[in-house]
Amino acid sequence: MNTDLHERARLLVALSGPAEISGTEQAWLAVHLESCTTCREFANNSRETIRSLRAIPITAGASLVSTTQLRVRQRAQELQLRQERLWVISICSAAVTLCTTLTTSVMWSGLAWVGQVTRLSPPVWEIPFAVLCFMPGILVGILMLARGTHLADRNGPYRE
Amino acid sequence: MNATTCYFVNAMADENTGIARGLERRDPDLFDQLIEKYQHRLLRYLVSLTGRRELAEDLFQETWIRVLERGHQYDARHEFSAWLFTIARNLVIDHLRRKQPASLDSMADNDDAPPFEVPAAGQPSAFDATVQREQNAQISAGMERIAAEYREALVLRFQEGMSLQEIAQVTGAPLGTVKSRIYRGLSALEPWLKGASL
Repeated sequence: MNTDLHERARLLVALSGPAEISGTEQAWLAVHLESCTTCREFANNSRETIRSLRAIPITAGASLVSTTQLRVRQRAQELQLRQERLWVISICSAAVTLCTTLTTSVMWSGLAWVGQVTRLSPPVWEIPFAVLCFMPGILVGILMLARGTHLADRNGPYRE
Repeated sequence: MNATTCYFVNAMADENTGIARGLERRDPDLFDQLIEKYQHRLLRYLVSLTGRRELAEDLFQETWIRVLERGHQYDARHEFSAWLFTIARNLVIDHLRRKQPASLDSMADNDDAPPFEVPAAGQPSAFDATVQREQNAQISAGMERIAAEYREALVLRFQEGMSLQEIAQVTGAPLGTVKSRIYRGLSALEPWLKGASL
């Protein structure tokens, strides 16, 4: 008999299961196993092996399950907190952007009106306006730089 | 498809949708249930991949943390167990990469304590039970020695009862490769079975 036929039969034995091999293949396999002792032996051995595989017990201990559940709950809380914080930061950023846009336009109109009434040339009121706009950002930058320098002095040089 | 099959398919789809929603919300009660439900199957799979019980237990916890963090990525059209096992598998591979650049094969030879415990004697006669126990012990020993890819395929197929398609999905291997691994795995265990009957 052809070696390929035995190979095919053994493969079908290994994959045996109604969902995996067709009725025609099952019928062919049954006929082949009737006539081939070697493949029949392989089929019997495979059946025994599968039975042993299913009999091998590996169970998770109760402590593993409870520890995992606890860790998952803690992590879920952390993620929840992080998400809430992110949400608050997003809301604050949106509010700050909105307020800045509104106040900038109001201040621009106000200063333009003052410039018109006092007959000042535009650069005279435009420059203070620009300074006023950029000042908070510049101040925050200076403060952060100072804090960074202070922390670097206290903790020593940055190391990987 | 008959009415009963249709009912079960729909019930399974509903269950998967429920799981997907719970994962999206990070529902702690759902996680408790899922951990309980899949505890043995997941640990068995991890032990089969790593060959070490302690490592498998660490990765068991990490898998659930990863499920929590990436729950929104779960697609309810697929089986939850397949997705869970894929996450576990990726964690094992990540762990191996961190330890040493290697494939699952590096887990094949392990001299640590045997991960596959031999069951106690069963209900049948003392002789049958002894023979069966011996056979199980041989197969357990064989499982430790065969290539990790074969071991994984055998565990997913015969212990987890997954379809070939699901195994292909979990392992990311083509269907033909999965078939071949199962066949070769069973063939590789054959000498161990014969050793038991000697």
